[in-house]
Amino acid sequence: MQLYLPIAEIPVNIFVIFAMGGAVGFLSGLFGIGGGFLLTPLLIFSGIPPAVSVATVTTQVVASSASAVVTYWRRKAIDFKLATILLGGGVLGSLLGVILFDILQSVGQLDLVISLSYVTFLGAIGGLMLVESLRAIQRRKAGSAPSARKPGQHNWIHGLPLKVRFRRSKLYVSVIPVVGLGLAIGFLGTVLGIGGGFMMVPALIYLLRVPTGIVIGTSLFQILFTMAAATIFHAMGTKTVDIVLAMTLMIGGVIGAQFGARMGQKLRGDQLRLLLALLVLGVGLRFAVDLLLVPDDLYSIAIRKGAGA
Amino acid sequence: MIRHLATLCAITLVFLGESLAKDNKDLVTALSSEVVSIQSNFTGTEIVVFGQASHIQQQPNAPGGFELAIVVEGPPQDITTRRKGRFLGVWVNREAERFQGVPSFYAVASTADIGAIADRTVLDDLRIGLNHLNLAISGSSNVAVSDRDDFRRAFVRLREEAGLYSEQETSIEFLTDTMFRTNIPLPANIPVGDYKVKSFLFNQGNVVSQTEQTLAVAKIGFEQITFEMAQNYSLVYGVLAVIIAIFTGWLAGVIFRKD
Repeated sequence: MQLYLPIAEIPVNIFVIFAMGGAVGFLSGLFGIGGGFLLTPLLIFSGIPPAVSVATVTTQVVASSASAVVTYWRRKAIDFKLATILLGGGVLGSLLGVILFDILQSVGQLDLVISLSYVTFLGAIGGLMLVESLRAIQRRKAGSAPSARKPGQHNWIHGLPLKVRFRRSKLYVSVIPVVGLGLAIGFLGTVLGIGGGFMMVPALIYLLRVPTGIVIGTSLFQILFTMAAATIFHAMGTKTVDIVLAMTLMIGGVIGAQFGARMGQKLRGDQLRLLLALLVLGVGLRFAVDLLLVPDDLYSIAIRKGAGA
Repeated sequence: MIRHLATLCAITLVFLGESLAKDNKDLVTALSSEVVSIQSNFTGTEIVVFGQASHIQQQPNAPGGFELAIVVEGPPQDITTRRKGRFLGVWVNREAERFQGVPSFYAVASTADIGAIADRTVLDDLRIGLNHLNLAISGSSNVAVSDRDDFRRAFVRLREEAGLYSEQETSIEFLTDTMFRTNIPLPANIPVGDYKVKSFLFNQGNVVSQTEQTLAVAKIGFEQITFEMAQNYSLVYGVLAVIIAIFTGWLAGVIFRKD
């Protein structure tokens, strides 16, 4: 069934979009990720204008993280104080992101920056996860227990000033790295159309040493509000949030996520991380190939002013 | 539906045509519809242009005789055409050319090859045919003069591939000796706005008569409300999108609650 999208101004097959939302939702439920980094490229490859894809995925991420936040809230696995400070940085980063997005679009380098960032971030994170999960699998096979968090361990981040106590996370750290982390991920999320959970979670664990039980709920809570802000900034700035497209993706996504979450409980943590690492690397590679191979068409056009701009 | 309308209009035209021909008018045209509405089920449509050329019966389609050209032109746009080049091993957009005030949609139908209808200067002047469009470029361009034609050709080709520019030579069909019709397909991605439908009757390379109609392409209903809200009340639109998203997510969380 073809449905005309009011903002993207093209008709799409509604079942294909629904299935895409469902498939990405399944993976996000399976791995406990937002799935924005998969959905945005999928939409772009299927012919939705990049600007609309990025802006609309921010809305879809709001829905998928809202769904998960409900669960973590009930389990009291959210550090609200930490999340609020992260969020402050996130909203600021998101605002900067929309401004940069607009500038890049007008100079015609948006697609390049999106591709390069995907290659860099997905390559780096995917690579790290791959190494980490392979080691974990090796350790499990060798029979040794994974090393637990050492409470006395400190890194340079814990030497920064402006320290604040986070009771829920049992942390006493400076707000500078917290705001900085929120800012960086809010910025990237807005420009790339991703929630950034796959960057936020490792950063909270390895840089700030937040207990793992609280990390996911806190990260989801901050992503929910950063992406809500990003949706509003995109709606006001680039005017490319397509509500019909977002609705279709959301409904497919939340249903898929439920099945993914059930499937995920049957798999081992290190196996899941290995699969996710391969997935992340695969998407990064796809972008790298596009950047390096001779394009099918050297020319492209963009409407700057007048009807349909 | 369109066919019925076309026949109906054609009949009206015969009478109209005859009465107008007496006033020494050579060409009359009409459209199957003056408004194209874009709704959620819009996947493109076509309009029928039909009319009567009272003198054409003397020598229809004969060389040196009468020829017709019908142009459908959408509202103007400024469009940047970019060319990729290799930079540090990566393909990036390098040169850019901005075409100003070019039609967002352009379709031409004719009774003969466009080049055979009239001289280049006449076609350029009336902007009939894809090779005769006035593609004005902005002053600030980093494209070498020798490459300008490549950019023009690429621009027209990309627009043709998108279905927004087309040239259908000899696509005007004659119903009788003097009555004609042609179908202009409007693809799903046409921009909204006021379109012009211009018809020209040529005799031996000169325009002897011409008509112009307007065609409105507009979103209606839900599509219109959504689009206007996104444009004019963007804050409300953004907040609404967030509320819908949170509600959908929350609802799913409640429905699929496991514990």
